Amino acid sequence: MDTDLLSDTFVDLADTMVADFDVLDFLHMLTDRTVALLGASAAGVVLADPRGELRVAAASSEEAGLLELFQLQNDQGPCLECFRTGRPITGTDLTSAAGQWPRFAQAAVQAGFRTVEALPMRLRDQVIGALNLFRAETGPFDPADLRIAQALADVATIGLLHERNVRRRETVAEQLQAALNSRVVIEQAKGKLAERLGVDMDRAFMMLRDYARATNQHLTDVAGDFVTSGTAEFPPPVRRRPGG
Amino acid sequence: MPGAEMTDSRTLDLWGQVAAHAAADGRRVSVADVCAVAVSSAQLAGAWLAAARGADPDFLMCVTGQVGEQLSELQLTLGEGPCHDVLVSAAPVLAADLGDAESARRWPGFAPAARQLGAGAVFAFPLIVGAIRAGVLGLYRGSAGPLPDRQLGDLLILADVATVMLLDSTHGDAETENGSRLDGQARDLALHRAEIDQATGMLTVQLGVSAAEAFARLRAYAYSQNRRLADVAGDIVARRLRLPRDQDPGRDP
Repeated sequence: MDTDLLSDTFVDLADTMVADFDVLDFLHMLTDRTVALLGASAAGVVLADPRGELRVAAASSEEAGLLELFQLQNDQGPCLECFRTGRPITGTDLTSAAGQWPRFAQAAVQAGFRTVEALPMRLRDQVIGALNLFRAETGPFDPADLRIAQALADVATIGLLHERNVRRRETVAEQLQAALNSRVVIEQAKGKLAERLGVDMDRAFMMLRDYARATNQHLTDVAGDFVTSGTAEFPPPVRRRPGG
Repeated sequence: MPGAEMTDSRTLDLWGQVAAHAAADGRRVSVADVCAVAVSSAQLAGAWLAAARGADPDFLMCVTGQVGEQLSELQLTLGEGPCHDVLVSAAPVLAADLGDAESARRWPGFAPAARQLGAGAVFAFPLIVGAIRAGVLGLYRGSAGPLPDRQLGDLLILADVATVMLLDSTHGDAETENGSRLDGQARDLALHRAEIDQATGMLTVQLGVSAAEAFARLRAYAYSQNRRLADVAGDIVARRLRLPRDQDPGRDP
């Protein structure tokens, strides 16, 4: 593992976790760094919605095929098991997992992946989601790398709840719903921008994210402004937000 | 616990309760039925639902009792409270104990006044689909105490039902059987597939309409074609389908 990148990653993540920060951009950065550090092909953060489903909050690529792999795991797959048991689902070879997760394994193999890993995102006794990793190569992830990945999953949990000491169980639920709703805003904005500019969804996401960073705004705010703006002009006119 | 089957059966069960409540009175389903089912399923004392015409959820559409009405008005009068906060944060506000320090800090006017009205806990839910804001759903209980996860999940599902009802009544064709449209699309809406949200965004450009209108038109089209909402959304995202620009969703492009 690139230890310089590792140190930089934890410094960058810690830097963003001060004061008011953009949760979904943070989670996206985390999935990007996870891919770079572990040599994974793709990574995603999946959250458990009290409505009874697993929903993707961030992924290293916004390409539809990858997002679909997370959505499929509502029926079967390592994230579902990881969430139910609270334990890592480790080093599964997808080509021999057809008996265990027929639809998921087939879709993942078709997407070019051979190995999958799911690490629990836990807050005390509560499992709020999972960090899902994919590799195109066969063979498990290095155990030392997986310890780092679990640390990153723990950072994702803390970052998501953006409080050192979440005392109220209600706060967890409230902030999870805020993140999930932000995700919907981003999906709406991706669609509007992709249609406006004739680009794919992954590119549309990058443009929204890059613009947010360049103008020092939250990704969710940029996305919301763009969706609600009366025109499809991008960048959107900046809006004064309720609550300051 | 997650799992599509769980979501399906819970969603359909809750929707069934809402429809049964309306049928018992011989009416079409409305947000009043959602309020009634929300109160009974979460074992709370009362509920109110307000539509957001502007930034504030100020258009009270239904209440299950006088205390609910007073709690709703109190927040509008004071300009503070859980319902006021939910649209700002785009997240539920679960005030399990209005007598605790946290509530006193957040709502110095509302918290003590609400307790005097007999509310020990207030739970408020934004009625939203991403950037589309329809209103708020508020509920209260006389005693303080947390909302169990299962009941929280049910209230989130019911909030979703109320949201699409509000959107249909303002942007959709309210004359058609909006009840059965919701029933048929309950599973797809519950699964929160990204394509549905992406297609909504695309339609704002293709049709030149607001996000709320785009969402309503997407659902109306799927219903009129007797197709799964997620499948229609998938076709739009893959650019295999463009919706007709005119108002009638049933006509061929």
